[in-house]
Order: sequence, then structure tokens, then C-alpha cells
Amino acid sequence: MFYRLSGVHHADYVSDSRIFKVPADRNLTAFIFLIGLAAPFIIPSLYLNSYLLPWLIWTAAALGLNLVTGWAGQLHLGYAAVMAVGAYSAIHAARFGVPWEFALIIGGLTSSVIGSLFAFAALRVKGLYLALTTLAMQFVMDWVLTHSPAISGGSHASLQSPTLALLGQEITTDTGFYYVAFGWCVLVTIFMLNLKRTGLGRALVAVREKDFAAAILGVNSFYYKILAFATSSFIAGVSGAMLVATFFFLAAPEQFSVAVSIQVLAMVIVGGLGSIIGSYFGVALILIVPGLVNGLVATLSEWIGVQIDVETLAHIPNAVYGALIVTILLIEPLGLGKLYGNIRDYLMVWPFDQFKK
Amino acid sequence: MKKLTKALAVFSMVGGALFGTQALAEPFKIGICYDLSKAYTFATPQVSQAAMDLAKLINMKGGIGGEPVEVIVRDHGNEPQRGIECYSKLSREGVFVFDTLSTPVSLAILPRAMEDGRILMQSLVGRGDAVDGTVFEWVYPIGPTYWGQAANDVAYIKQLHDGDLSDVKVGFVYFDYPFGQEPIEILKTLSEKEGFKLELYPVPLPGSDQAGVWSKVRRDNPDHVIVWMLGGAHVVASKEMQRNRIPMDKYISVNWLNEVDIANIGDEAAKGIKRGTNVVGGQDVALYQEIMTELYDKGEGSGPIEKTQDVFYNTGLAMYSIMFEAARKAAELEGLPITAKSYKAGLESLEGFDANGLMAPITVTVEDHGGGGKTRIEMWDGETWVPQTDWISEYTDVVWEVVKESSSEYEQ
Repeated sequence: MFYRLSGVHHADYVSDSRIFKVPADRNLTAFIFLIGLAAPFIIPSLYLNSYLLPWLIWTAAALGLNLVTGWAGQLHLGYAAVMAVGAYSAIHAARFGVPWEFALIIGGLTSSVIGSLFAFAALRVKGLYLALTTLAMQFVMDWVLTHSPAISGGSHASLQSPTLALLGQEITTDTGFYYVAFGWCVLVTIFMLNLKRTGLGRALVAVREKDFAAAILGVNSFYYKILAFATSSFIAGVSGAMLVATFFFLAAPEQFSVAVSIQVLAMVIVGGLGSIIGSYFGVALILIVPGLVNGLVATLSEWIGVQIDVETLAHIPNAVYGALIVTILLIEPLGLGKLYGNIRDYLMVWPFDQFKK
Repeated sequence: MKKLTKALAVFSMVGGALFGTQALAEPFKIGICYDLSKAYTFATPQVSQAAMDLAKLINMKGGIGGEPVEVIVRDHGNEPQRGIECYSKLSREGVFVFDTLSTPVSLAILPRAMEDGRILMQSLVGRGDAVDGTVFEWVYPIGPTYWGQAANDVAYIKQLHDGDLSDVKVGFVYFDYPFGQEPIEILKTLSEKEGFKLELYPVPLPGSDQAGVWSKVRRDNPDHVIVWMLGGAHVVASKEMQRNRIPMDKYISVNWLNEVDIANIGDEAAKGIKRGTNVVGGQDVALYQEIMTELYDKGEGSGPIEKTQDVFYNTGLAMYSIMFEAARKAAELEGLPITAKSYKAGLESLEGFDANGLMAPITVTVEDHGGGGKTRIEMWDGETWVPQTDWISEYTDVVWEVVKESSSEYEQ
């Protein structure tokens, strides 16, 4: 009923490879897009600034990781390091006087080069070995950042980002930052939506399922793996730069530490490997829920009037949040994206499927 | 009506800088965005307990200028993103004084606080060059910077050697990341200036394996070892020192060494260990005694009493005494309600304030937001901490040179 399929026929390949095969999906996407556009006017600045904006940027980043992990099936534990490369090179470029538009692209390209450079070495190994190699990349990057003041800035290794300016327009307001993040996230999402229906996307999936089977089909798995690493690193680099330019205003090594790499991977896994909408959900859960639960527990304890030790108060949300992740993965091991998919599938033929039972 | 007009006047004076602050009488609030669940838990529970106790004590005595005070404690798990969230949220609730006690979060909030004109306290954490008040107008790292602390350690060593360091060898054992690396530059400068030999011993994080480091120390045999590590790493270090038969009295720690660490090393085994500090350790402190009689004896303490028997509790008392004293000064100078601007003026009028013998006297000025950076060296004698020096602040010219050099980079 909600996702009406009547009158939807795919009689040729072009029609079958449309982005939105069901009109309801398209309408829903358009609706959410409009809400996104209107967000600065309908959402209080606190939520816009400290929840929505980081959510969008991290979603873009998580989509990049999803490309290499979800689509191409390569486990990547050094994603934050790649983001750091992008962030630092973009800021240095901007500080050097390069316009931000180019600085962001420089950030993306540097990440891309360094990310795929590591991929060359890493791709001789597979699976867990690859994961460890990418983890090593993370440690190398951490070390480089903490040991080269020239890159990471002076005192306590913090590098101030110059004011973001795009198309000759200085961006200083919350609304401005939001739109920049929104624009980037939309761009990445459109790219990922289209990836699904291109030869590249199909080749990546083939590599994921079995790389030597893909090779038999004529897909050069090494080439596609490198391509996946390069593309995802580009997205990571620009997202990293965006994160600093619109949210942190200052780059520090801790923002791109190994813990962050694990977090992004968690976003992708909880959201669902290879799922675009899942990435949105996953980021929301990993990034925003801890803060929300924290606030909720604090308000609750105030409301009930129990005096809880601050330390306990800080640990309750962690426990709740951990339990939440476990529960979600127990209910649906394929992640939040699949959970949404289940609901969608159910509604697709509802209420008529009830007759079958 | 009169009050309202006055309030409006103050509000218009402060103008747009204080977006969202209500000018009507409200408790004076301090936003404590701490890491209570991840990396800084070795100190944050004690410090936040001290803050809450102190706020209770002040409210019992009638608050500040008749208005109550409030501390709002929130956890940010040492994640910059959640720190910013905490800052944004509390800002909108009218908080304009923040403390994070976490370097990554402090760094993340700093640009916003500077932009919004809110006070960021960052005693003992964050970027050291923020003591330069001419650049970091809204940031107050009251207490010693790591640079100043290291310089004071050198001054202490100089005292021990009767003012001649020419044939002295000093080792520097540090966590190999920005926290530990920070004093290196100042130590190098001082080594050139004073002629002592400096040996560097980086310790990889998390510091649980230091076997290689200390056998190297044994080979080089430095006269003193300045140590920039935290928590459990001290315990590992002391074990390695015993194994290598390095006497404990060579060990001069950064201020992050507390009673828990001493207990883990063992009271006897820790004999002779030294630390730099800006607060008086132990329970023989007027303010501490007052809190005991007024709160804990009546069962109204904000947490378990064991946590108060820790130097970081005293550190917390010192930090928050300063913050409340500044509020009192602000109310005195410019009346209620306290605003970010009047609070700033309050901070900058602190002169020789030592919270009744609790800590090194601090004097904050428009230029020096560090309050002078005095520390002293204490030695563990098996039972208690024995001061080895007065409150000192040496080589300030060298320290400020580094500060200026670093802060000028921020301005670009």
C-alpha cells in the first residue's frame, strides 16, 4: 500500500536499472531531501549544529568506507588515517592561500594517492591480514602526525583551519556550515546510489563475493580493489577536510585516532554493509545516540530526583548504548539498513499479504 | 523594575557576544564537560567531586552575592564531537564558563569559545600557549603549563647541585605523543643555557612496556629523571627502576602522580619519589577540613570520602576555588548578574590568590592567563609528601619565548 508496486513494470534493462524502482522510494527520498533543505529553518540551532551537521559529514565518510568494505569487501581499519591525510593537506593548502574549492580537492587527491599507495602493499594480502595492514597504516599515520610539528601544527599538535570560503563567499554561520555539509553528503549519496547500477559497482560486488571467480569473469580484481581504495580514500579525504572546516575548525591528531577508525567501521557494520540508508542509520546510532542517551539519563535522574554519582551516571549511557548495539545486531545481523528493508518489504504488499496466512 | 532595567543595561552592554544568555537573575553556572568514562578517569571523578562539594559549601554560606552557584557535570567520553555537543547544549542553557579536563576536547572547543566569547578554563590540559592572554582572550589555563613545570623541575635540580649544572645529566622519560613531547623544546633550550646533558627516552603508549627504556636509563645513568607519564605508567616505571636498581629519588614526575599510584607502587617502595605540583597534597588544608566538617561529617558529601583523600581532589578544589573566587570578584566589580565579560574581569583581577594555603598563589593578568605558573617539588617519605622547594616559577623568560612563538602561529 505504502510502497505501491502496481503499474511498475520493468520491460527493459534501462528501466530495470533505474535508481528508484518503486515510486514511493523516490517520493520518500525527495521528501527527506526537502526536509534537509529546510532544516535550518525548522530545527533549533543546537540540533542543527551539534547533531545534524556532524551526522551528515560522518555519513559521507561512512559511505566512503562502505564503498571499500561493503561493496568491494575489503576490511579497512585505517580509515581515520586517510581522513586525516585529507584534512591536513586541505588545511595546509588553504593556509597556503589556495582557494577552499581547490584545497578540498587537493585534500581528496592526496588521500586518494596515499590511500591507494597503502592499498598496493596491502592488497597482496587478504581478509584479516589486510585488516591488520590497514591498521598498521593507521599507526604509521598517528606516528607521523604526532612527530612532525610541520604537519600537525605547533603547541599540542593542533592546526587552526582558515575560515571556509566557497565560491567567493565566506562561510561563518551555522546555516552556512550546515548547507556545505548537506551538499557534500548529498553529492556522495548520489554517487553511491549510482554506483550500484554501473559496471564499476557490479565489478566491485563480483570482487567482494569471490575475487578469483571475478577474475574468471574477466574482472581484474586487483585493478578494481585499487580503484575502490582510491575512490573511498578520496571521499574520506574530502570528508575529513569538511569535518575540520565546518565542525572542529581545528585539526588535532586525536580527531583521527585509531578509535575513530574503529568507530567508522562500527557505523558501517551496524548500519549494514553495502547499504546506503544503513550508513545514515549507523552513523546516527554510533555518533549521536551516546550523547542523547547521556542527556536522557541525566534528565531522568534529575526528574526522579535520585542523586546518582556522576561517575555511575556517565557509565549508565555506555551500558545502555552497548546493549542497544548488541540488541540490534541480534535482531538483524545485517544491520539497521536491513531492518529498514524488512519494514519496507513488509509494507510493500501490506495489507494483502495477510490473506496468504 | 529597577532590577530589570539594570539587567537590560548589562545585557545591552554585553550585546550580541552573549547569544542566548538570560540576563535575569539565575544561578551562576559552571559547565563541567568531563571525560568520566574513558581516558581521563584517573582524575575526573575526584576533580568533579571537588567541584560539587565546593559548590555545596558556597551555597551553604549564601552563594555568591546572594545568588546560588551550580555546577553541571556531563560526560563526553573524551570524544571531541561530544565535547562540542556538551558545550553547545550548556551554552544555550546560559553557561559561559566551561572546563573540560581533556586535551582533545579542550582543543575542539577552543575555536568556538573564542568565537562566542565564552570562558574556557583549561587548567593542566589543552594547548600551553593559551596562557598568552593577548592572543587567547577567552582561554584561561590557570596553573602551570607543562613548559613552566619542566622549567621549574630544572630549577629544582639546579638548587640541588648548588647552582652548577655543567656536569649533570638529566634524563627525560615521556609518553611519545603531544602531552609528553611538549616539554622537550624547553628542556633542550635550558640544557644549552645551563650546560647540563639531556637524554630523551620516549615511551610508546600506553606505557605498559618500559623494559627497554629503563635499561637504557641504567646504562646512561642520568643524575635525575624527569618523567611525563600518567596513571599506571608510573607503577610500571617504578618496577623497572627497581629491576635496574635505579634509586627512586631520581624520579621527578609531572603533577599527574597521585595517592592511588603511590599505593600501587607501595608506600615503602615509593619512598623518595618526587613530583611537581601546584597544589598542597594531603588533608592538612583549611578548605579540605571545612568541607569535611560541613559536608562529609553530616553525610552530605557528593561522593565517597575515599576519593577526597587524593591529590587530584585537592587539584579540583584549587581549580574551582579559583573559578568561584573569580565569580565573587566579578560580582564585586560589576555586580549581578555575572556575565562572561564581568567574569573575565573577575579572573583578571585575581592577585596572589591561594585559596587559604591550598595552592601556589596565582595572579592572573590580561597578558598572563596562566596565573604565574608556580609549582613546587614534593617528595614522598613513605607516609606523606614533603615539600622540597617553595612555590617557584623560574626561567619565565625562556618559557614565555616558547609561548609567544607558539601563540603567534595561532593568530595567522
